[in-house]
Amino acid sequence: MVRKRYLFIGMLMVILGIVIAITVFPSEEKRVKRRFHLLSEWVSKSPEENAFTLLQKMRDIGSLFDEHCELKTDYPSLSGSYTREEISTYVGSARSQVSRLSLKFYDLQIVFPEKEVAKVTLTARLTGRSTAGEQMDETRELECLLKKIEKKWLFSQIDVVEVLKK
Amino acid sequence: MLLKRVVAREGERVEFRDGKLFVDGKEIEEPYVRYPCDWNLPPRQVEKDSIYVVGDNRGMPIENHHFGQASKSRVVGGPLW
Repeated sequence: MVRKRYLFIGMLMVILGIVIAITVFPSEEKRVKRRFHLLSEWVSKSPEENAFTLLQKMRDIGSLFDEHCELKTDYPSLSGSYTREEISTYVGSARSQVSRLSLKFYDLQIVFPEKEVAKVTLTARLTGRSTAGEQMDETRELECLLKKIEKKWLFSQIDVVEVLKK
Repeated sequence: MLLKRVVAREGERVEFRDGKLFVDGKEIEEPYVRYPCDWNLPPRQVEKDSIYVVGDNRGMPIENHHFGQASKSRVVGGPLW
């Protein structure tokens, strides 16, 4: 009887240990997904957002990116390499021109082509309303490259995939 | 996910003249296009393993409409009716 009780307690501890390990030490895939979740949260804007939250989000957005992040799009004027500070400034400027903004990511496919590098293919949808009342609704396929630098996954390249070529 | 109509297949030449669709120089009858269309697009050949897709809503300016050629591998299904 006593032996059975010890066995039960032992099994319980093993299960508890596994649950704690999964929670405390998430997989690399979950860590990468978390970065997208944060990017979505910090880019999005609700009409009730106060000045403090606005400044905090602007500061935080830069921390998700590598020192230099490469952007590739169909628009030559937008393509290029941006620093964290530039990204924070541009996102802040764009957010100031909208009253509502929502950035959501769908169908994330994550692969690790080499150590400390994650390649993510996904669909991004940006919806919102400008301060002038104009509606926006853009959906694009993206290919992102994230690098693990000092234990953090940082966006180092974002390619806007041309799905339909006119 | 995009829902578009396939109007041309690989190797075919597709173009728009005053809102009319032409495939390999032949005008295509499109009764499903309900709104007036004034699109003009020079001829282009659909690449290998690709299809050319266009939506039915042609009332909007050509530059605002998402259409063009895409790899066949991107097709995930067809409509049920």
